[in-house]
Amino acid sequence: MKEASLDVLGMYCQEAGLSHGELWLRYFELGGMSAGFELEGILCGVLAPSAYDHDIIALAINERLVELGVQPAIPYLLEP
Amino acid sequence: MSMTREAPEFEAVTHFEGSEATIVLSGSVENAAAFALSATLDAAIDRHPTSMVLDLAKLEFMGAAGLVAIANAESRLAASDVVLRVQSPSSLVKRLLAIMEQAETARRERSLPEHAHLGPEQQVEATWSSQRFSSSLGTKDLRRVTAMPADPDVIDGALRLVVELAQSSIAGADGVSVSLMRNGVLSTVAASDQTIMAMDVDQYTTGEGPCVDASFKGHWFHAESLDTEVRWPMFTPRARTLGIKAILSSPLRALEEPVGALNIYSREAESFEVKDQELAALFAEKASLILSDARAGVSDTQMALRFQGALRSREVVSLARGVIMEREGVNAEAAFNTLLRQSLSQGVPLGEHASSVVRSAFRPELASGDGQR
Repeated sequence: MKEASLDVLGMYCQEAGLSHGELWLRYFELGGMSAGFELEGILCGVLAPSAYDHDIIALAINERLVELGVQPAIPYLLEP
Repeated sequence: MSMTREAPEFEAVTHFEGSEATIVLSGSVENAAAFALSATLDAAIDRHPTSMVLDLAKLEFMGAAGLVAIANAESRLAASDVVLRVQSPSSLVKRLLAIMEQAETARRERSLPEHAHLGPEQQVEATWSSQRFSSSLGTKDLRRVTAMPADPDVIDGALRLVVELAQSSIAGADGVSVSLMRNGVLSTVAASDQTIMAMDVDQYTTGEGPCVDASFKGHWFHAESLDTEVRWPMFTPRARTLGIKAILSSPLRALEEPVGALNIYSREAESFEVKDQELAALFAEKASLILSDARAGVSDTQMALRFQGALRSREVVSLARGVIMEREGVNAEAAFNTLLRQSLSQGVPLGEHASSVVRSAFRPELASGDGQR
């Protein structure tokens, strides 16, 4: 489950055509607190994000997918 | 047991554990190094491995010849039902593999219905198209991403590969080039031949033409027939003199700013069909990703402005979170979650929703005269 979600973030980041730098800026805009290299680690699957961090990253990527006219695809982990 | 082959800046080390082979590549694979890579791969395959992993974590760049070497190895292994797994390519190499796959798909699609029409301009393709470049180089194994390449030489090498692949996979392309803005000057970093280079230079010197317009305006320009073209009166006659009849320029962007163009030239008027235009746009998009990773052409000022904008948006989101915390008595994380759910149910971006939350919190009747915002 955790493995799968790690895979998903890195994969969708690529699908959304976001460079890691641009994703970090969008994540930062949404209130993300992790540094660039930590985000890099999360996308590479070597760091596990908290559910909160996961959801901010997921939102940043999902919003980009919406901009591209694609259905946002990453599920959120925090309970509604 | 290991075996080492060396070329300048390139190294391939093979490890065998029983019948499982791992080959670790480092440095840069271009020209001579590609032969060394082929030889290493062949030697390993001759030992009949039951599995083979190609570790690209330390590889900085791979040119066309290197990609072909991998594709060859892959089909040799496939003949004995062994899957070649590619592991840990750098972000740049991953982009190149994706471009390579795209070019291969385009060529395959094109060659099926139109095989009979593929005329004498096929010499470049012959090297590639006989080789299957299968989906085993998919995203699944390509997971770990290393630091961004910033070396201009490496970027230029990648762009040369894009030019080569675009020329061999776009039907009407007689020549292809990439123009890129560096230090405020537009110049050609990769061109398929001297005529094409001259075409670009003519546009820089006259200050007009599809390549210049695409590079500055950030959208594509298509001159279907230069015989009837009126948009670039100084440049067009020069292009006609060199035998060019049609031009398609697609913009390249780094971090969403226009920084250059992918230019495709044809000696025939109206030679680019919709499919070719889409393909050109796809190549331009892939090249833009490489440029974004390297932050090519993006000045410090542009970066600073982008960062300032990000700071402002972040502040609005923080304020909105504070409003929700106050209203609902929850912590920052729960407040973010509330904002997230509200923005999803309203179908607006979170930043936009945050602005309206902040606006709704302002109640002038409670403010003691000096309230702002």
